[in-house]
Amino acid sequence: MSKVKNTCIIDDDPIFVYGTMRLMKEVDFSENILVYENGQDAIDGLNQMTTEGKDLPSVIFLDLNMPIMNGWEFLEDFVKIPNNNREKVTIYIISSSVDPKDLERVKNYNVVNNYILKPISPEDLKSILHEAK
Amino acid sequence: MVDNNGYFLNQFEDCKRLPTIFTTNGRCKNNRILNPKSTTNLETLSTDFLINYSPTAVAILDTDMCFTGHSQIWLKEFGITNESIIGKSYYEVIPDTPDALKKIHTDCLKGTFNESAGKKFMHANGTVQWLKWKINAWKDDEGTVGGLIIDMEDITKTKRREELLLMAESVARIGGWEVDMATSKVLWTKVTSEIHEVAEGYVPNLEEGINFYKAGEHRDRITNLVSEAIQSGATWDTELIIVTAKDNEVWVRSKGEVEIIDGKCVRIFGTFQDINEKKKYELALNKVTERLSVATKKAGVGIWDFDILKNELVWDANMYSLYGVKKSDFIGEYEAWQAGLHEEDKLRGDKEIQMAISGEKEFDTEFRIVWPNGEIRHIRAIAVTQRNADGKATKITGTNWDITELKTTQLKLLRSRESFKETFTNSVIGLAMVALDGTFKEVNASLCKSLGYSESELCQFTFAEITHPDDLEMDLAQLQKIIDRKQDSYQTEKRYIHKNGKVVHAILTVTAGKDIHGELSYYIGQIIDISDRIASEKELNQYVDITREQNESLLNFAHIVSHNLRSHSTNLTMLSGFLNKEEDEKERKNLLGMLGNASESLIETVLHLNEVVQVKVGATDMMKSVNLYKTIKNVEKNLSLLLQEKKAVCQIDVAKDISLMAVPAYLDSILLNLVTNSIKYSSPDRSPIIKISATMVKKKLVLAVSDNGLGINLERHGKKLFGMYKTFHRNKDAKGIGLFITKNQIEAMNGKIEVESEVGVGTTFKLYF
Repeated sequence: MSKVKNTCIIDDDPIFVYGTMRLMKEVDFSENILVYENGQDAIDGLNQMTTEGKDLPSVIFLDLNMPIMNGWEFLEDFVKIPNNNREKVTIYIISSSVDPKDLERVKNYNVVNNYILKPISPEDLKSILHEAK
Repeated sequence: MVDNNGYFLNQFEDCKRLPTIFTTNGRCKNNRILNPKSTTNLETLSTDFLINYSPTAVAILDTDMCFTGHSQIWLKEFGITNESIIGKSYYEVIPDTPDALKKIHTDCLKGTFNESAGKKFMHANGTVQWLKWKINAWKDDEGTVGGLIIDMEDITKTKRREELLLMAESVARIGGWEVDMATSKVLWTKVTSEIHEVAEGYVPNLEEGINFYKAGEHRDRITNLVSEAIQSGATWDTELIIVTAKDNEVWVRSKGEVEIIDGKCVRIFGTFQDINEKKKYELALNKVTERLSVATKKAGVGIWDFDILKNELVWDANMYSLYGVKKSDFIGEYEAWQAGLHEEDKLRGDKEIQMAISGEKEFDTEFRIVWPNGEIRHIRAIAVTQRNADGKATKITGTNWDITELKTTQLKLLRSRESFKETFTNSVIGLAMVALDGTFKEVNASLCKSLGYSESELCQFTFAEITHPDDLEMDLAQLQKIIDRKQDSYQTEKRYIHKNGKVVHAILTVTAGKDIHGELSYYIGQIIDISDRIASEKELNQYVDITREQNESLLNFAHIVSHNLRSHSTNLTMLSGFLNKEEDEKERKNLLGMLGNASESLIETVLHLNEVVQVKVGATDMMKSVNLYKTIKNVEKNLSLLLQEKKAVCQIDVAKDISLMAVPAYLDSILLNLVTNSIKYSSPDRSPIIKISATMVKKKLVLAVSDNGLGINLERHGKKLFGMYKTFHRNKDAKGIGLFITKNQIEAMNGKIEVESEVGVGTTFKLYF
């Protein structure tokens, strides 16, 4: 399994971010890992990349509950980013929320591939890699 | 002269007439001179005697038509007063002798005999005379005509009578007939022949006569009658049809009698009358009468006739059945009428008859009658008064018919109308009768009360004018269905506008009212005022909303809490997992540090939980009266350090005497939170100014905390502002729970919080108590 080139983690919980990055290292998940604390920062960052002509990360892990701009709002704005490889971006929502409403809502967003419940496990990462093929 | 033997002596010659007197023993008393040469002395004498006392009018004349002898009766017969006419001329004595007769005399003098059974003569003066005569010439011994013997009778009277009879016969078309049983000869008079349309001389026999009768019923009948008559002498009087010789059917009245001598029928005779016209009319009349009778009987119409002059009342059969009595029960109809009339109507009945007679008013009225069994019936009576040439009333002809059913129905209708009226007026539900153009025609008290108008006011409006404009279209659409006859009624919920402008909710049921032809004539509206119900519903809904809100917030809260707890606990798990595997010391330290953070976060979450739960429970018990100014001042004091640090200024615009019911801890917490927020989110571009003011708006205390800080993008974040763990700025201290708790606290005190804000300008929080 070859690793993903660029991955993005959008989450405000530093502990979780640390843990996830550590796990990724263990499974050799990705070459580069980008981290944003909230949706707004992520949007700004991704737009920056587009302006610079860079490719967007192929995998994005998105948390739902974040300050300033949460996961839902991010998704709304994400699809507006003008980048040709946006379709190749796979978004996974990772959340502690077991609210069925959230689970339902996820289905409305085509751009979201799957919903992963925290904590994320190495197996989860492995299967993602598998899928990415 | 007579000799002793009683023989006449021929003493006189040329003595032609002398009265001859016979003695009682048959001898002639006085002498008579007769022609000695005549051998007819004796004959002549006897003749004179005979002539004088002849029972008929007879006269003897000579060849010069002078009277030589005559009977006494002759004088009487022809009204001759002069006693002595002997020797006088016939034509002198009877001057008006018709010329025809004179001629006959002349003829007879030649020696012929002339007789007539009766001949009619018309005199110059126009009178008619019928004469019957036998005239013979008398001859002397040599056979020379000596004169005439005239036996004449004036049969004018008889003949006239006969003529009249014949005329009557002819006019009445009554003919006579007779059958002589011995000879079987039948005699028919002229009229009889005419009726049979046969020639005048036609003489039938009995059988032929009977065969003229129409075959079948008629012929059989006459045959029976005739044989009966012949056998038993019974007379008959019957009306039958004959078929004339010209094949016409004629109704005749045949009357017959028999003459029986020694027990044997010798003659049958009778009259024969053409009653065809009469019969036809009779039959036609019968038919019409029958029709009328059937019609009036079926229709129950009685006909009566009051002869005013004779004071007689006549009823037909239907009248009796109308009055429920039998003809045999009463002496006269007037009695029956009076007996039947209802006590209370008797006086009026008589009066109205009088009015009809006097011409004041024709008889056209209603009254009640009482049947013998006590039943009361209503009778309608109409009559026409007939008057004679002087204008005096002679007769009243009228009809009666029973209108009891009609009257009963009318009464029922009246009663049902009254009953409806009662219901209408007294109903607790609003009722209205609306004309086709929509105007209120009649409204009851309940409706007036619901809508706030008086009866007269409401009746000036159409329903459309007081219907809420939003409901009008729907209402009219439904009404159209009734107009189009698709349905007879509809029910709908709608709003009316009360006189005072308020909305009145109602359930409306509209029913079509029809006229006697089944055509739409008006609407009946039933309006149930459900304003109270709607108001209760609203209140209920409000409670439901509140409950739902609370439920939602609870649910929300639960999710958020579980999420947060989950986050932190999974972190703990994850970190402890790493810690177990980690051997690097530096890394271990890092991990431990993070572990500590995670635990803290967890604790924090739990504490927040506590706080929120506390707020939601039992706040009202802790309400006290607190002085607002003092509380604010206290908060200011508590935050003095922070205020100083940020160089923030507090402007307090609150009356010192304002008190309110609140939970002191909550009030403190709220103010603390709001002011802290204002400081935290102050704009770096300007010194923070925090204004706190209190005003009264509609009896509610409004406390406003305003700042000139960063402001909040309400468009984007407005909904989440008071949500749990929602933050909008990158403030490290922002936990996102402050406003959530503040909202819960104010709401626990039955208050409300609102926010106004503009990015880059500032924010104002308003608290309603």
